[in-house]
Amino acid sequence: MHTWVQLRTILVSLSSICGTKTSKFMSLFNFMGICVIFSMKNQGRNLANICQIWRKQTLLQLRLAPLVAVLFSAVHFGSSRLYEGIANFYDESSGLWEDMWGEHMHHGYYDTDSGSSNQNDHRLAQITMIENSLSFAQVPDSKEERPTHVVDVGCGIGGSARYLARRYEAKVSAITLSPVQAARGNVITASQELSNLVTLQVANALKQPFEDGSFDLVWSMESGEHMPDKQQFVGELARVAAPGGRIIIVTWCHRDLELGETCLKPKEQALLDKICDAYYLPAWCSPSDYMELLKTLELKDIKYADWSKNVTPFWPAVMASALSFRGLIKLATSGWTTIRGALAMRLMVQGYQMGLIKFAIITAQKPL
Amino acid sequence: MRLITHNMLSCNIKGVTNGYPLGIEASRLETKESELNPEFLRKIFPKLEWKALRDAAHSLGLNDLPEHVEPSMLEDADFLKNFHHALLEVHLEEGALICPETGRRFPVTKGVPNMLLNEDEV
Repeated sequence: MHTWVQLRTILVSLSSICGTKTSKFMSLFNFMGICVIFSMKNQGRNLANICQIWRKQTLLQLRLAPLVAVLFSAVHFGSSRLYEGIANFYDESSGLWEDMWGEHMHHGYYDTDSGSSNQNDHRLAQITMIENSLSFAQVPDSKEERPTHVVDVGCGIGGSARYLARRYEAKVSAITLSPVQAARGNVITASQELSNLVTLQVANALKQPFEDGSFDLVWSMESGEHMPDKQQFVGELARVAAPGGRIIIVTWCHRDLELGETCLKPKEQALLDKICDAYYLPAWCSPSDYMELLKTLELKDIKYADWSKNVTPFWPAVMASALSFRGLIKLATSGWTTIRGALAMRLMVQGYQMGLIKFAIITAQKPL
Repeated sequence: MRLITHNMLSCNIKGVTNGYPLGIEASRLETKESELNPEFLRKIFPKLEWKALRDAAHSLGLNDLPEHVEPSMLEDADFLKNFHHALLEVHLEEGALICPETGRRFPVTKGVPNMLLNEDEV
């Protein structure tokens, strides 16, 4: 009986992390458990005993589950499984996103109080996000000083890469973990006749296939959330930046911890864990964590802004598009990982509303 | 994948000091014509590693790039034609990029190089 309880505990934890893949086993196990209990009843144990066993089992689950969850998290998000998960998520979901929202896979920047449901306004907002990021980092526009070599780290299907290539007539190298995105991105690039300037390849942001100091603009638009090792991620950004080059990181963070706090509140952590699951986000950190990392790499002009209130219309707009007739049909024909991602959108809204999730821009410059 | 991209890629396996330039193993090459833009070629030339480009082109059977380029050659139509062809018109569709130090192969599939490192190489 007790072995069964322990195994059930493990399965409960597994299913909370890995989603419904294990739920089939869960139902089977529960069924087996019920069979066990009925067989025990037939052996003469009375109902009171059975109730006691169920109660004990539930308490055991509550105690063991978090520990098992942590252990399995460590394994589940062991590097190569995480990278495969991310690649698979985008391999599966990229087409749907592109159909509904276009080539830019990032938040739009809205002037507060705009309650627009016009899709064109959202696409414009996504462009505004890019432009505002460039001005925040003070990327020069003049012909002599504008960037000529750009890297887009976590490039999606190359929306930002192509935009930057056009804007600065710069060569843009773009990397993603998703082979589907790289291939699709290169096709779109060719159709826009930008193949001279923009190429996407499959590579890992934690080990970029470029020499030191290759780029005068290092661009990471909403990819930092996927990096399991923030230190290595930022280290690579700094490594491939040329002297005088600028680094722009736009990413989801959790709120800065208050003085005296060593970690987030349990309710907050629980919400983040659920989001992590759905979007393959291995670790969250705060904007201050990023700034500390940039400081240790001896970068200068480190700046941060909280743009959370400027992105609030975004997730509700995405949810509305998902619930549209077209959206639902497409979701229904996509895979489980995409659907799970769609279901997690309300968690993002919750996170922003709680003041837990922050949309941050952090920029720095490599000294000459 | 064109040679303009190849010119930027290097191997960053842990401990490797000489990961550039990558060797090329070509199983399938394609030539896709594109419009010659002299201004673009002149602008991009200083950013390129010329020797790496020339060696890469040589390994693909393109032998008409000179060893040394004088600035005046950037005005010469013939040179620009060969430069343009090697840099932008030849596509490696299937094959691999080889690390010069370790021999590690990075596959190129449907024109997309996969530079992902294995866990023990990071």
